[in-house]
Order: sequence, then C-alpha cells, then structure tokens
Amino acid sequence: MNKVFPLIQRSIREALRTPEALLPTLFIPLFFLVVNVGQAARIFPSTSTPFLAGQNYAAFQLPSSLLLAASFGTAALYLVEDIEGGYFDKLRAAPVPRTAIVFGRLSAEALKSAAIAIAMVLIALPFGIKIASGPLGFVLLIVLTASWAVVFSGFMQLIALKTRSAAATNSAGLIFFPLLFLTPSFVPRPLLTRPMEIAATFNPVTYIMEALRSLVLHDLDWPVIGRGFLVVAAAGAVMVLLSVRSIRRYD
Amino acid sequence: MTYAIEAEQLVKHYSGRGGDVEAVKGVDLHVQQGEVFGFLGPNGAGKSTTVRMLTTLMTLTSGSARVAGVDVTKDPDAARNKIGVALQEAGLDPRQTGRELVILQGRLFGMSQTEAADRTIELLKLVDLVDDADRRIKGYSGGMRRRLDLASALVHEPEVLFLDEPTTGLDPASRLTIWDELRRINERGTTIFLTTQYLEEADQLCDRIAIIDGGLIVGEGTPAELKADLRQRRGLSHEPTLDEVFLDATGRTRERAAGEVQEVQA
Repeated sequence: MNKVFPLIQRSIREALRTPEALLPTLFIPLFFLVVNVGQAARIFPSTSTPFLAGQNYAAFQLPSSLLLAASFGTAALYLVEDIEGGYFDKLRAAPVPRTAIVFGRLSAEALKSAAIAIAMVLIALPFGIKIASGPLGFVLLIVLTASWAVVFSGFMQLIALKTRSAAATNSAGLIFFPLLFLTPSFVPRPLLTRPMEIAATFNPVTYIMEALRSLVLHDLDWPVIGRGFLVVAAAGAVMVLLSVRSIRRYD
Repeated sequence: MTYAIEAEQLVKHYSGRGGDVEAVKGVDLHVQQGEVFGFLGPNGAGKSTTVRMLTTLMTLTSGSARVAGVDVTKDPDAARNKIGVALQEAGLDPRQTGRELVILQGRLFGMSQTEAADRTIELLKLVDLVDDADRRIKGYSGGMRRRLDLASALVHEPEVLFLDEPTTGLDPASRLTIWDELRRINERGTTIFLTTQYLEEADQLCDRIAIIDGGLIVGEGTPAELKADLRQRRGLSHEPTLDEVFLDATGRTRERAAGEVQEVQA
C-alpha cells in the first residue's frame, strides 16, 4: 500500500494538470442528459409514468449519464503516454509490485470518477432530481459509479498494455456505446422489445444501470443494488487480474 | 571474483509479424565492480535488448544474468533494488516537476516522504537542477531531461547504473556535463554500464568496452588493448582510433558505416 499511495498521488496530479482532458468527462455526459431528456421527457410525463416513481425523466436518465462519465477511461490513455514516453519502463524497473502499478492508476480513476459523479448529481439537484434512497443511497450511487470507472479503465488499461497504441486504446473505448445502448437506458427492461430485452439481460451494464436507477428513484432496494455491486466486483476482479498478468508478461 | 554484471549465453528471440527475430544470440559479459563498461554496436545489434534483459525489463529466452550478485530472472525485485536505469528515451513524466518525479522515485524505492525529499535535494544539486526543481518537466531541455533521468536513476544509490545512450541528441556542452557527472558517480564506487553510439564517449569514459554486432560480442577489452590489437593485426603505422576498431570489429567499411552512424541505435 505504501507504494500505491504515491502512484495515486501522481495520477491525480496528472489529471488535475490536464483540465482539457478532465472537463469533457463532466460536460459531455451532462450534454447527453439534457439532449435525451429534451427528446423524450414529454413522452414520459412524471404524473402518468409509473416507472418514474413521481420524479421527472431526467432522474431516470441520470444513471446513463453517470455511467457515460465513468467510461472515458482516460487513465489508459495516460498509460499509453507513459509507455510511449518510456516512463512505464522506469516504473517497471523499480521494485514496485505490479499490482501497485495497476491499482495506482485505477484508484486515482475511482477518486476522479467519484468527484465527477458528485458534481453531476449536485448540478442535477436544482432540476428537480432527488436521490430517493437518501444519504446512504447517495454514497452508494457514487461508489457504484466510481467502481464502474475502475472496471472500464481496467479494460482500457488492458488494451493499452496489449496494443501500446493510443489509437487502438481510444478505439477500444468505443465499446462503451454498444454496452450503454444495449441496456434499458430509455425505458425499463420490461418495456423493451423482446430482442432488446434479451440483449439487455445478457449485458452486465444493465444491472449496474438498474442499481443506480433504483438508488435515484426508490428507497434502498438491496437485491437490485446488490446485483449491481456484484457485477462490478466480478468484472473489476477480472480486469485487475488480467492487467496485472499483462504487466508481468510485458516485454 | 565477484562481478557487478555477469551474463552467460544471453539469448533473446522475438516473434513478430515478420517471423522470429533473434535479437541476441548468446552474449557473455563480465563487468567488474567499479568499472565503467561501454557496450557499443551498430543499429539493431542487440545493445538495448541486452540492457533490457539485464535490467529485468525483458525476459530471457535462454541464458542467465546476475547483476550485483542477484539473478535477474529468479529475484527481479532484489535486482531492481540494486540497479539504476536510465534508458534511451529519458523516461520522464512531463506533467510532473523535477522534484516531484525524483521524490516519487524515492518513494517507489521504499523511502519515506521526508527521506525522499532530502535525497531529491542532494541529487538535484548533483545534476545542477535545483533552480528548475519546481518547473514542469515538459519545459526542460533535452540536456536537463537527461540529467534529471540520471538523478532519478541514482535515488536509491544503486550498485550498478545502466545508461542506454545517455548523451544521444545532446549538444556538446550538455554531453560534457553528463560525462563529468558520470565520472563523479563512478568515483563514488558505482559500476556503470553504458551503451553509446559515440565512440569518443566510450574512449573518454570507459575502462573496458564490448562491441556487439548481429546479437553476438565481436570484440572486448580496454580501448588501448583493442587499438593495439588492431594495429598489430593490420600492421598499421599509426595509432588506430576507436572508430577504426569499431569498423573492423563489425566488418563495416567507412563508406557503409557513414550512412549508418547517423542512425546507429541499440
């Protein structure tokens, strides 16, 4: 842990010193939130749409935007810069556990994502969105979003380690779009067409989105929340293990 | 005798898109403690691959290597604790300041924040970067980057310092500064293993050199021994330069090498 901490500090400094990379992760998801709500809010008025649980459509859409904000994977692009610039070799030549190299970046990504998620929720509150699950639900919302950021950055980091290419890593990040859209992102799962419902059921992001949505719209619904955390924990463990293995085999 | 670096039949094969590449084909090295050892070779000869194997950055296809008495394959972390590495491209994070980078390096080698900060001041003084310590590295010149890289490689007082082309791309003044620093570091007892494309550099700095070509060592000895050997073999009337020794060992003509010297890399 004593070697992870300085690496976390370094990654946070890196992010803060690159505001041009940080700001889009806040504003692009907010932009999509505004656009999606603008397009569909009138179809789903809060008074006559049961799945909104009395809130407006923006509350239903907020989890999609939180997931999008957590799926930029910029940590992996910094990793590619380290690889291309030779700093990654400097780290590998130090007696640092390979897990520390992975956790250093991913922990910083989690903290960064948590800060952005908090900012997004605070921005959303004046627009009538409430976190129905209360303060504990708010904390869980942020933790789950940040955990997804770790999973997605872990995936991107894996691609960065395998390809050592910024272009390939960037392109791999686009996988988020099918993952996001093959979910009940606009309506709950039972309202999807059958093929979409099947696809969404097999998509792990669905369970994270449903958990986040449950925290926004309802009181603490532990089975739904638990499924979201379970998916994120399993995917996170796989990504971390593969990343560590990849660094160990890196030649 | 205990060697600072001891390699036996080092071999490295890559499998790339164009098929199998034999980058290093069986290199033996014996570098004594306290030596400055030069590792020369033309572009693609296997210099950097050898350095990367010795510094735990690359796996060995076969053979064995011990650095500061530690087997780099069996106990890479112990080896990493005893070596300092400054590779061909100064491996620095341009978003950090010089001070932050060296402190981080110290922390990675197990120092406390205070110890790392104190050591950083010592090192920045050594490489004459105290005044620029709190500037971001992206604003540093090539010479400053090299000196900072050197400082970060020395943070844990390594027994063996590996430098891969430490002065490539530097202006003559910066090169001389680095040479002075390397001499100072060596006087303190650190063994230095350096690759270079500048034969004058090897002549000035190195106690012994090895020349690698096509993945094999083709010449080894002190600069004086290698020159004397060439003079005797060729019956030369003049004292040959290290350039002539290099061309002879690698089987290159001056004309052929003239084009290559510009791009000679490990």
